[in-house]
Amino acid sequence: MKVKEIMTTRIEQIDADQTVFDAIEKMIERRIRSLVVKFPGEDGADGIVTARDIVFKVIAQKKNLRQVKISEIASKPLICVDQQTELGSVAELMEESNVERVFVRDDDKIIGVVALLDIMAGTLIMRARGQNVI
Amino acid sequence: MWKLSSGVFMGWSLGANDSANIFGTAVATGVVKYGVAIALTAVFVMLGANLEGPKCMATVGGVSRLTQMAAFWCTLATAITIALLTYLAIPASTSQGIIGAVIGAGIISGTADFSKLYKIVVCWLFTPVAGYVFSLFLYRLLGHLMKTAKIGIARKNLFLATGLLISGCYGAYTLGGNNVANVTGVYVSSGMLSARLAALIGGLSIAAGVLTYSRKVMMTVGKGIVPLDPFSAFITMLSEALTLHVFTQLGVPVSSSQAIVGAVVGVGYAGDSRTVSKKMLVKVGLGWLATPLLAGILTYLLLKLTVVFL
Amino acid sequence: MLFSKYFSRGKKEEKVLEKIRSHIELLCKACELFSTALQSEDTGSMRAIIDLEREADGVKRKIISGIYEGAFLPYLRPDLCRFVETVDDIFDMLEDTAFNAMSIYLPHSIREESFRVAFLNSRMCEMLLITFDAMVEGEDLRERVLAIRIYEKKIDDMKFGILCDLRELAIDSYWYGKALSDFVTGLTSISDIIEDACDHLQIIHLSMR
Repeated sequence: MKVKEIMTTRIEQIDADQTVFDAIEKMIERRIRSLVVKFPGEDGADGIVTARDIVFKVIAQKKNLRQVKISEIASKPLICVDQQTELGSVAELMEESNVERVFVRDDDKIIGVVALLDIMAGTLIMRARGQNVI
Repeated sequence: MWKLSSGVFMGWSLGANDSANIFGTAVATGVVKYGVAIALTAVFVMLGANLEGPKCMATVGGVSRLTQMAAFWCTLATAITIALLTYLAIPASTSQGIIGAVIGAGIISGTADFSKLYKIVVCWLFTPVAGYVFSLFLYRLLGHLMKTAKIGIARKNLFLATGLLISGCYGAYTLGGNNVANVTGVYVSSGMLSARLAALIGGLSIAAGVLTYSRKVMMTVGKGIVPLDPFSAFITMLSEALTLHVFTQLGVPVSSSQAIVGAVVGVGYAGDSRTVSKKMLVKVGLGWLATPLLAGILTYLLLKLTVVFL
Repeated sequence: MLFSKYFSRGKKEEKVLEKIRSHIELLCKACELFSTALQSEDTGSMRAIIDLEREADGVKRKIISGIYEGAFLPYLRPDLCRFVETVDDIFDMLEDTAFNAMSIYLPHSIREESFRVAFLNSRMCEMLLITFDAMVEGEDLRERVLAIRIYEKKIDDMKFGILCDLRELAIDSYWYGKALSDFVTGLTSISDIIEDACDHLQIIHLSMR
């Protein structure tokens, strides 16, 4: 199964100079766990901020949510794969890079994201179809 | 010859009443057409009565020495008792009725052999138990087989349809084999008929009852019984037939209704559900005690009256 | 005559099952057609879906009459009919959505996601067919049922996003707005009905032990 079949296409983003508070607000409202971080100027050099980053690097460190900027805790660069990549390869990539989500690119544009849950879902669908996976 | 009339009457009412136990659910749920059901029942009852009927006749007649007159009164009393209890909606067993009646006659003639009763009563007690055990075992065994053998639904459907048909025929066969002794067994011991002839006449009278008067009971019983799925209905019928068949080999006529009750409870237990209500069990227990007692008392009274007046 | 009914019994059931399968195959075809027609804005193909729905109606009627002419134990018949009726409901919804699609142009903000939902609907139909085949063979349905639920959940997640974007659009004509709204509602409800159909398959499977 290619990633494009199981990816989530709705990507939420946030500017790098916004605060962690803004990020939390967006995440809670849209019920998502990660945001693409847009850095000014540099094209393609997007970053990512996850719920994990916020909790571990800000809340647990008792830092001020309204003062810390996203640019301070975001990770760069984004780990991306092409939309035709097979699900199995993406799972291996996630394991090697120790990430919970990977972004899907079509040339320069980010068109989707594949998370751990999507990998599991896709694997199950392949099994149900009888495509011998695991 | 006219003395046979009470037996024929009893056979006819047995056929009309008990045939509902056999194809009742199948007909009410539309699996088998009514006409087909009664035709099959009649044929297999006759077969069972003629092939295995004589086995139980010795037991029925052996409880006391009967005169021809006594034989007549016994079957009449039993028939009346059954009719009365049916009217009161209490399940009544012809097997228990006739034994009670024969005992009643025996008390008057002083030939009642109570020692023979032990074997009979033990068999009665074990009838629902046997039904229960058979159904529990078969449900689990066949259920497991059906699950593990990956047959498609078309095949499963066919299997169940033929299963219901075959178990119904088997049930009719064992009913004839086991219960015909209730109908005409007394005539054998009183010397009026040979066992073979008694089986033939008894079988015919039961078949007549099935063919002519069973529709109403079949529809009521079939719809009133717990709506069993086809598989459970099949297991229930098979267990009941097996129970009756076993007791036929032991020579004791038993109640098909009680075998079915045991089987239905077993199926419910195996499927983790309650299929029989406590209220129904109470009624069954009541019928248990009431049938032989009433039949016995009635026979006693009738004989006493004839002795007085004739 | 008495027993011919029993000897031919297996055949009646197989015929009904074949027809049900072709009914679902028609649905898959229609969903696939809808997905491609939506992306290529091909009204001709959209119209063909309405013809497919009519054809499916005919198949449905043959199935129901086949069932009540004596296929399957009476115990199973209502559940089988319920399943077929639900597949018919999916078709009706698809037809309505196709009709609405022909009367609108898809706004840019919801284009991609609408394509995606249509694509996933198509995948769900395929999975429904796979599940039906498994049920007929007597196999365990758990994995396939879960796969269908996964698809349904994905579409559900997208539904709210699409509706939010929709509400931010400026609408000049009421009827255009209505057609657009009906289109989106229809598009996102198809998956719910497919899930219902799948539940009916589960029921049939369980009632055969």
